[in-house]
Amino acid sequence: MNATFEGIVKAFRWWRGLLLAFALLAVSRIFLPLPFVIEVVIFSIYTMGCSFLLGRVGFISSGQPAYLAVGAYATAFYLFYFGTNPYVGILLGVLAGLAVSFVVGPLFVRLRSDYFALVNLALAVIVFYLMQKVLADITHGDNGLWFLTNLASTPVLDLTRPKDFFIFAFLAALAVWAFYKYLDDSVYGACCLATKINEDKVTFLGYSNFSIRLLAFVIANTTTALAGALYAVYLGFVSPEMSSPSRAADPVIVTILGGAGTLYGPIVGAFAYTGMKDVISKLVGNWELFIGFLLVLIMLAGEKGIWGTLQPRLEKLLVRRHATTPTADRPADT
Amino acid sequence: MDTQLLISGVIFGLSIGSIFFLMAIGLSLCFGLMRIISLDQLLYYSVGAYITYSVSLATGSVWLGVLGGLVVSGVAAFAVERLIFRRIYERELTFSMITSFGILIGGIGIIKFFWGVVPRPVPVPIEIQTAILGTDVPVYRLVVVGIAVLVYVGIWLFLNRTITGKAIRAGIEDVEHVEGLGINVSRLFTITFIIAGSLSGLAGGLHAPLIMVDPTMGLEVLAFAFMVVIIGGLGSIKGTLISAFIVGQVVSIGSLIYAPLAQMAPFAVMLLILLVKPTGLYGSALLKR
Repeated sequence: MNATFEGIVKAFRWWRGLLLAFALLAVSRIFLPLPFVIEVVIFSIYTMGCSFLLGRVGFISSGQPAYLAVGAYATAFYLFYFGTNPYVGILLGVLAGLAVSFVVGPLFVRLRSDYFALVNLALAVIVFYLMQKVLADITHGDNGLWFLTNLASTPVLDLTRPKDFFIFAFLAALAVWAFYKYLDDSVYGACCLATKINEDKVTFLGYSNFSIRLLAFVIANTTTALAGALYAVYLGFVSPEMSSPSRAADPVIVTILGGAGTLYGPIVGAFAYTGMKDVISKLVGNWELFIGFLLVLIMLAGEKGIWGTLQPRLEKLLVRRHATTPTADRPADT
Repeated sequence: MDTQLLISGVIFGLSIGSIFFLMAIGLSLCFGLMRIISLDQLLYYSVGAYITYSVSLATGSVWLGVLGGLVVSGVAAFAVERLIFRRIYERELTFSMITSFGILIGGIGIIKFFWGVVPRPVPVPIEIQTAILGTDVPVYRLVVVGIAVLVYVGIWLFLNRTITGKAIRAGIEDVEHVEGLGINVSRLFTITFIIAGSLSGLAGGLHAPLIMVDPTMGLEVLAFAFMVVIIGGLGSIKGTLISAFIVGQVVSIGSLIYAPLAQMAPFAVMLLILLVKPTGLYGSALLKR
């Protein structure tokens, strides 16, 4: 009896940060327009992979749009040519992301991190031209594939309706975050951080840098492919534009903005970025200027990002409040 | 294939390669000496092109514009180095990459503010054509190639025959020892950055008559500039020259064979070269500091 109770308390402690974050996200749904919140949710899933690679493994991945496009196009091909069930489409998108990252991963993760960034960027460009020109017969080039009317209504959660789609995307995001939190706590998460800091020591400890990095690469890019599949179903349309090289920096910017490698950084970053884009582009129509200088300022201030700066303060606040209770010695969630 | 088409293709490739070379040499020098990835070189490239446009509109002389672009980009590079890069030399490599990307994006915002988003044309300064093996070739493209070769020779002489240049070369090998010899490394960094920035500006000015000048032109060539540096090996001037001409030819000849390939083929070449030799053609293995 006591043991099960303790287990529940433990589970609650593990989940409370996640639940709080997602409760806040759910509350924001009441105040903010639905498309905005959906955009934030999908964008934060998109950024999560990049944040994991940059903050935990030390790879700056400027080629995320490639995997986004892979996920989106796999979903789109199924929904345009073969079937109507959006769930199957999303599943296929994720599987395609998994397959592609397993194929290119072994080639890429051997490279040093600066070359990795550039080779990944090259892959994004290749995917872009592949979709725009080379495979134009299947992808309809710049016109993109429109399949909104092909989507069939599904029972329980009807993905063709934005309200239900939001719930699905929300649950998917919660699952993704729970998974990454689990990774952070596991030995594997520690190994990732170790390869970032000192790869020689990791080798001495008997782990293989290559397989740690490969797994991280596959996990991160499959997450990105999930975001791509969600975009495809949500918009009912895909075009090569989503993998264009000029957008390659978006996830990196959002990662830095939120705080690289932190668990909630991507959500905070996606919120701030999407919000700023909406507000500033309405006001002046020149939001690159702001984003650019904000980025430089954040980097000069110490590259912690919004969440990375806020988190220690929140922790302090929490610890002070709990100072009288015995739970105080446990650090707050990262 | 048609010989005439081939010859004009090769000349086209040489001229585009020259521009890539001028642009990439800045990236390569900055990486070699300061160990930073300076994406903002692409900003100086755009600034060079825009100044060329404005000056040629005001005075009617494109060459004066190119000179002005070179000077203004150098000044801009100097300001950015003093204000921003000075504070981040000690940080990791990826750090400088992200910061300089912020500068690039912010700079594009400034360009949009001053010149608007409409693409601007720049007249070609030399319109005559000359015959090479019976093919008419625009002289301007040959002049661009000539300028790139002159710059290469100039850089080579500077690095091998002057004290400052020798100090820069020594700094690429081991910057701490150079500092130990009593050489002002901080000034060395500034000089290198200004050279890099003005060469990028020169590339922009020379490229302007061949394309339309628009605010995102820096982002469009970003991938190519990087590819050149990577294929050549980060930090090697000779490698940069060779790979710039390889990339130029692949772009140009590739577009003759099958147009959609022109944009993609260089990336495939780069992937292949990196998989065979992960440090590029002339890159050194020792790159940690």
